[in-house]
Amino acid sequence: MAVRASLLQATWNYERQQGLGWAFALAPALRRLYPDRERRLERLAEHTAYFNTQPTLASFALGVAAGLEEQRSDGAGPDADGMTRVKNVLGSSLAAIGDRMFWFTLRPLVACIGLALALSGSAAGAWVMWIGYNLIHQGLRGAGTFWGYRLGPAVLSGPLRQRLEGMVRAWAILGAGAVGAVTAVALVPHGVPRPLAFQITFAIALAFGLIAAQRHRPSPTEWALAAGVLSLVVTWPR
Amino acid sequence: MIVARVLATILLGGVAALDATPIAQTLFFQPLVTSAVLGWIWQDMPLALTVGAILQILAASTLPIGARTPEDYATGGVIGTGVALVLATQQPYSVARDGAALLGTFAGMLGATAGVPFIKWQRRRNEGLARWCEGELRVGNEGALAAAHGAGVVLSFGTGVLWTAAGLGVGTLALLALLRAESLWLARAWTFAQPLWIGLGLAQLLNAFVQRRLMRVAAFGAALFVTWMLLVFGAP
Repeated sequence: MAVRASLLQATWNYERQQGLGWAFALAPALRRLYPDRERRLERLAEHTAYFNTQPTLASFALGVAAGLEEQRSDGAGPDADGMTRVKNVLGSSLAAIGDRMFWFTLRPLVACIGLALALSGSAAGAWVMWIGYNLIHQGLRGAGTFWGYRLGPAVLSGPLRQRLEGMVRAWAILGAGAVGAVTAVALVPHGVPRPLAFQITFAIALAFGLIAAQRHRPSPTEWALAAGVLSLVVTWPR
Repeated sequence: MIVARVLATILLGGVAALDATPIAQTLFFQPLVTSAVLGWIWQDMPLALTVGAILQILAASTLPIGARTPEDYATGGVIGTGVALVLATQQPYSVARDGAALLGTFAGMLGATAGVPFIKWQRRRNEGLARWCEGELRVGNEGALAAAHGAGVVLSFGTGVLWTAAGLGVGTLALLALLRAESLWLARAWTFAQPLWIGLGLAQLLNAFVQRRLMRVAAFGAALFVTWMLLVFGAP
């Protein structure tokens, strides 16, 4: 299941989002729990309904669902509607912590570490970034299925949640430090300060960027495109 | 040799598109990683990392939250670095290399922005696939799930390959003449654009981390000061 969770988003769509991938990941558990083919196919079709969460932490929800399906196969556990409710609640709470943990914190943090090396001219930065991210991403994806199965729907209500929240806070502080390190490397690569014009332009862009970041629109890419056009105009040959 | 390198670049675009959403999401698709691979393929690591780092700073502040379709820096990163490397092989002079970096970064950002409709198109196609799959399961076809996933993966890889090939081809053909004619102007523009891009991108990252918390501002300031001192005066 943990391996199949890697394909959770293979058929991502606006209607059911990760629904199909969810059913695909859960299929090995259902195959074991429902030897009767008709019941198994009915359950599989049920599980193709809407589901969405942060993809790494989805493995927690998969473990929980496998545990509940085990109860269902024994005649206990929730019915189809109850299962949908559990999936929706878990999806929302896992996304709430997972989005902050991976998209807002870990990914920018490892990117900054990689950038600090890359801006010094070392290709190792790319691999440090890739490996650093995957140690946590693949580790949690694998362990999450097990934890979800063992702890059930209360998986996020105990010390595990506190530990994850603590990690997010620690990574955010490290991340702010990593941006500081990248800024220094960008201004003084190999210990040689950049020309004054570079440093002034950089400082203006950083200050302006902090103001622009308070609004979602225009996006960072749109701002960067505008800055590129500005550079072409300012340096236009006379 | 150049044909093999171009083909490898195009295939890398497909692999990056797969890693971005359908398979594993390992960050192999991020511009810094793909640019390191391209630097090795084209044997020009400094230029690849120069372009890849700027695209990476922008990609890191682009978030795939909920159902939002963010800029496609998976193929955009490959297109941008690829265009810069192809241009640099055609104009291997130091001034022209700065111009190639500028044009490559532009191509990457435009490729990432223009790639969004293709992702949306794939997601709409997948809606039909999901409905088909549920119908097949209900009539007893257990293999429909695997078939639907295979189709989703092939669609994503094919779209990534085609978009990278189109971006690389159009970008190189359109920009090579400009680089040949205006390399001095482009090199001047690069000296202005590079700090602007790095500054704007780092500001987005800093804002995402700090969230108006004093402790994090202090971490930023301390790391900036310590790294600066270490770089200028060397480690004790």
